[in-house]
Formats: sequence, C-alpha cells, structure tokens
Amino acid sequence: MLRELLTGLTRIAGVRGALIVSGKDGIVVAETVMEGVDGRAVAALTGSLAARMRGVTGALGHTDPGLLHLQGPDGGLFAAAGRAGLLVVALTTADVNAGELRLALLRAAERAA
Amino acid sequence: MRAIEPWVEAPLGGFLKESAARLTLLMTSSGQVVAQHGFTRSLDVMAASALGAGIMASTFELAKVMGIRPLDAVVHQGTGVGIYLAAFDTPRGRWLGLVVFGDETSLGLVQYFFARLTEDLGRAAPAAEPPRQVLAEDFEDELNSSLRALFGR
Amino acid sequence: MPLVNFTTREITCKLVYYGPGRCGKTTNLLYIHGRVPEQRRGNMVSLATQSDRTLFFDFLPLELGVISGFTTRFQLYTVPGQVYYNATRRLVLQGADGVVFVVDSQARRYDDNLESFQDLQENLLDQGVDIRQIPLVLQYNKQDLPSDLILSPPDLDDAFNFRNVPSLPADALHGAGVFETLKALSSLVLQRLAVRPPAP
Repeated sequence: MLRELLTGLTRIAGVRGALIVSGKDGIVVAETVMEGVDGRAVAALTGSLAARMRGVTGALGHTDPGLLHLQGPDGGLFAAAGRAGLLVVALTTADVNAGELRLALLRAAERAA
Repeated sequence: MRAIEPWVEAPLGGFLKESAARLTLLMTSSGQVVAQHGFTRSLDVMAASALGAGIMASTFELAKVMGIRPLDAVVHQGTGVGIYLAAFDTPRGRWLGLVVFGDETSLGLVQYFFARLTEDLGRAAPAAEPPRQVLAEDFEDELNSSLRALFGR
Repeated sequence: MPLVNFTTREITCKLVYYGPGRCGKTTNLLYIHGRVPEQRRGNMVSLATQSDRTLFFDFLPLELGVISGFTTRFQLYTVPGQVYYNATRRLVLQGADGVVFVVDSQARRYDDNLESFQDLQENLLDQGVDIRQIPLVLQYNKQDLPSDLILSPPDLDDAFNFRNVPSLPADALHGAGVFETLKALSSLVLQRLAVRPPAP
C-alpha cells in the first residue's frame, strides 16, 4: 500500500522521487526515487528538519506543522506529517505544480500509517 | 576527542559536529581503540571497545551460519538512546565504529554522517608506516617495577 | 603488534588467555582483578552462562604505568574453553599480541590440553599467524593438586613446549604463578617494540 501511495505521487509531473520516512529515526520506510537521488540522505536530513520545525512552531505556541515546503532555484522538497510519526516526502523540479502536489501529499499522509 | 593518529581527528570532528552523537568510538576489528569522543575513563573505553568488537564479530559469524551476506551494521534502540555499530574498510584495515546517540539526533542522521565519515577517513589515511621501536633497550626494568607496583609486591 | 599512540604516548597490548574448559583462564583474570588497585584497572567484563562458564569472553583492562615514556595498557581476554565454542575463540584471538596457554596439569585432562593446543595453532594459522612467531607463554595450572593427579612441569614441557617458550607452574586460584605469567608474556610482547642491542 505504501508503494502505491508513492507511485501515485511520482506520477505528478516534476516529482523526482517520493519517500515515506520514519520522522523520529530519519530512516527510509519506503521509497521510489530517480537514480542519483540518495534516499537515505533525504530521509535523515528531512527527519532532522521536521524535528527542528516542530521545535520552532512549538516555541511560537503553534501546533506541529502539517506540511513543510523548501524551495530552491533547481527544485524543492515537500514533506507532509502522517500518522505514527511518518513523513511523506516528495522531491521535485522547480516547475512542479506545487498546489497539486500539496493536495496529493496531504491525502497520502492521511493514508500512510 | 582523542585519536591514536592525528589524521583521524578532522574526519571524526566533522562527524561529531554533524551527527550530534553523544559518544563515539573507532576501533580495529580486534577491539583496539583508534579514536574516541565523550568517554571520560580510558579503561571504560577499552571495555566498550572489546564489547563492540565482540558484537560485530558475532554478528558476522551469525550471518555466516545463516548463509547470508555479512551484516555491516547493528542498531540497538532504547528509550531516548540508541547505539549504532558498523564495520567499514579503511586503507589501514577493517575498522569498527560505535556511536551512542540520543533524542537530539536520529538514527538516520547518524547513519548518513557515519557513511560520510568512512569516506573521509578513506581519503585522509596516509600510507601505513612500518612499526617503530619505541621502547628503550632496558625497558624490562621499568616493566618489572611497574608490574610489582601493580600487584602490590 | 601492539597499538602505539605517538601523540599521547600510549601503548595498548591485547593478551589472550587460551586453554581447555575449566583450566583456570577466568581464575587468572579474577585473581588479577582482585589484586590490582581499582584506579589501575577497569571493571571485569564477563560474558558467561548462568553456571559461570565463559560464553564469549572475559575482559579486564589494566593500566600498567609508564614504560620508556609510554603509558602502557593491557587488555586481558579469556576465550571460552569448551570445544563447541571454536568460532568465538577465533574471534577473540583476532589481533592478539600475545597468548598465555593455560594447561590444566591434571593427568586426566592431558587430551583436552592437547586438543586445545592444536585448536590454538589452527586458529592462529587461520589468521595467518604461525604459533612459532607470536609471543607465547605456557602456564601449568593446578600444580597445587596432589602429585599423583598431576603431571610435573618437565613432563608438560615435553608435551607442549616444543618452542622452548617461558613456562610457569601456577595455582591460579591462590595466585601462585599468575603474576609471573603476566610478567613473562608482557615482557615478550613489549620486546617487539624495544630497541634491540647493537650486534656484537
């Protein structure tokens, strides 16, 4: 089922890879990534990033962030918080349809557990 | 941080900074300490090193018995603390790493930066030096008096 | 070769006590542990079964002191003696700088000693080490038992000491010979690091 979730995400134009990551451990639970993408590195660093962002929102008195979006000139990283501490992560090119991907990610995060 | 050979220090320093590991121990596969960070007593380091090498050695044997490929890493996970143990090859032979980490980091980060550490060590390792004679010709007098003192004789 | 840290001027040697089951390897370490002041030794690590037989190894780190300006440490290991733990013995033997072969002097244990000694040779060879090249000391333990039950040191020398290495009678339970054994092996091991006298 996790594999299906990921395949659904990678069908969106501009998605170079999708992963389900154990947020606390920063390790890959499932992945579908293009060659040359180091899934283990993405999982480790995204897990760490999500933990820090939770720290930031907590310090501001807000609830945990449901979605992270990092954008660079060549591409982006999206991570949606699922149940049981899982993160659904997508790596994208710069021209991805961010709105479509956000919706797909949030839906996938609800199902991932 | 303490290292047997100075060239280990920079790669290990980088790993410690990035991984936020609490304790780190690099050792030979026979359990001899090569470098360590975080331990306060050298005798404890030796015991941790002996046990770490023992765990990895038995893990290799276990894999052999089960007919599977050698397992290069072992993770022990506790509440709020974990241990990552991994074997890797260096120009100086097979080494092992033992990393104790807490909630301030994650297994994934430790694994990721440990892999980088092994690459950095591979690049930094100078050619092995031939063994040097470091003890004086008459070292036995000192050895005997040290042993006598140790045994209270 | 022992590990030498030139920066911190430290030498670390791995010494392994080898021999058949119940010959007194762990007893040697326990005696040393009991005699050496706490600040000069670590805790003794024993991976043993419920009946106190060594399952994996015993380990005792010792801080000897400063020799020729180098802080010298010993890591003492024992191996499990039982025949079926050979894989474990091989692992513990890996990287040993010196070996004490503990012989059980009881005549009825002769074959066990022999088997264990052959096992030591094979396991060393497995690691590319010729038993004639590694520092080795023989300890004839249990020499305190009645003389009709044991073999004498000269008899045991005939059987095991083909290399003419140091051999010492011992009663490890009460400490006799334990110190002398460690002294003999450490001297052999450290000799490898010593400046040799000029040729005559």
